[in-house]
Amino acid sequence: MTELSAQVLILILVWGTLVGLDLVSVPQAMISRPLVAGTVAGWLTGDVHTGLRIGVLFELFALDVLPVGAVKYPDYGPATVAAVVLGTGSIWQLSLGLSVALGLVLALLGGWSLQVVRRWNARAIQRRAAALAAGESNAIRRLQYGGLLRDALRGFILTLVGVVLALLLKDGVRLDDQTHLALTLVAIGSALAAAANGAFRSSGRNARLKWLAAGVGAGVLLAALA
Amino acid sequence: MTGRIRAILRLFAVQGTWNYERMLGVGMGYAAEPLLEDLKAVDPVRHGEAVARSAEFFNCNPNLAGLALGATTRAEYEAVPGPQIVRFRTALCSPLGAMGDELFWAGLVPALVGAALAGVVLGAGWWAIAGFIFVYNGIRLWTSYWSLRVGMQSGMRVGAAIGASWLPRAIRRVGPAAAFAIGAAIPLVAAWYLKPFGWSAGVGAAGVAVAGIALTRWFAPFLTAIRFALAAMIFLLILRRVGV
Repeated sequence: MTELSAQVLILILVWGTLVGLDLVSVPQAMISRPLVAGTVAGWLTGDVHTGLRIGVLFELFALDVLPVGAVKYPDYGPATVAAVVLGTGSIWQLSLGLSVALGLVLALLGGWSLQVVRRWNARAIQRRAAALAAGESNAIRRLQYGGLLRDALRGFILTLVGVVLALLLKDGVRLDDQTHLALTLVAIGSALAAAANGAFRSSGRNARLKWLAAGVGAGVLLAALA
Repeated sequence: MTGRIRAILRLFAVQGTWNYERMLGVGMGYAAEPLLEDLKAVDPVRHGEAVARSAEFFNCNPNLAGLALGATTRAEYEAVPGPQIVRFRTALCSPLGAMGDELFWAGLVPALVGAALAGVVLGAGWWAIAGFIFVYNGIRLWTSYWSLRVGMQSGMRVGAAIGASWLPRAIRRVGPAAAFAIGAAIPLVAAWYLKPFGWSAGVGAAGVAVAGIALTRWFAPFLTAIRFALAAMIFLLILRRVGV
């Protein structure tokens, strides 16, 4: 099991905060996609392979999410970062299931925390309603910086909670190898179900469904040849 | 730095104060500030009214917000009556939301994610991820620049400008690309994970996947993918505890 230094943990917290900010607030550059968040987290902890394995799996879960309108969705970014901390230094076949379980709980917590920040933003706007109605640019700037700060705080706390839980689970959970393997297979099956559901839903019953089927055919062929 | 470049940079944080009352409103006001600066010297009263309007309720896909921002800014400089600008801005919400969501969230992002996933499992590693980030952000940056420019040029006629632009054609083309890329990625990723476990484990994971697809469809919206996964893991732990 790899011990993570304080420097690495600080970098992980900074990365988790940036990833949390990226989801909605700024800059939406897609670093919050689990594939990116997990791989970079793995690079920071010195285990890129685990970062990729966990990032790809959470990316399958994220394909089930279509962030349109005011829909409520989980936050997979900091969750993936914390899951990578838990999985680092272990054999992925044994650690993936538990890492995914932790990440999924954090993703739900992250989704809830987004709602809290949105309500917090609304209250801040109500407090400055008169200044906004008067067209004061300063009020808009203050609200904007406040909103960004609140979301950064959300990402930081979420990552911190995730990292603490990951470190506790690393030392505290005692399961036999068979159970670890079974958890990993359940995690993989669930992620594939999420991705398939997302793909079906976004394809509907029109021409996109034919392209989806063609893609599946190509993927099966490539998988057989690879 | 010109007002337009500052506005484009600020558009990247347009959701910074997202809330259920004004949605993107305050973020739009923040992005509009550098564009409305010149109005202050010409007509300070109109400037104050324009700033107040810019931060009112607004919602659309953040990547196309520049179209509304540019169009309403031009309308402010052309002294279009305030209530008309408010109605115009509100009318832009749905089409810009629908088009942006189709183009980015249901099109470009899944297409690039699917390609990146396939690239990763086929051995491209970091290159696949870097390619995803660079291509997505390149397209997004260009779209932001284009949106603001077209909005500023067209003003109240922005609807016609959008209709005649590349946007509707791109939306038609990116959907099939997304479906194909995701379709190809899923079996590739499944094989990448399951090959080391052997056939019996693969069949078990496939069984979980089929159960997950069926149950999350039957019991939607309560049973989400996350809830199914966590419930299945807890069920497994209970079975292991009782010795099954």
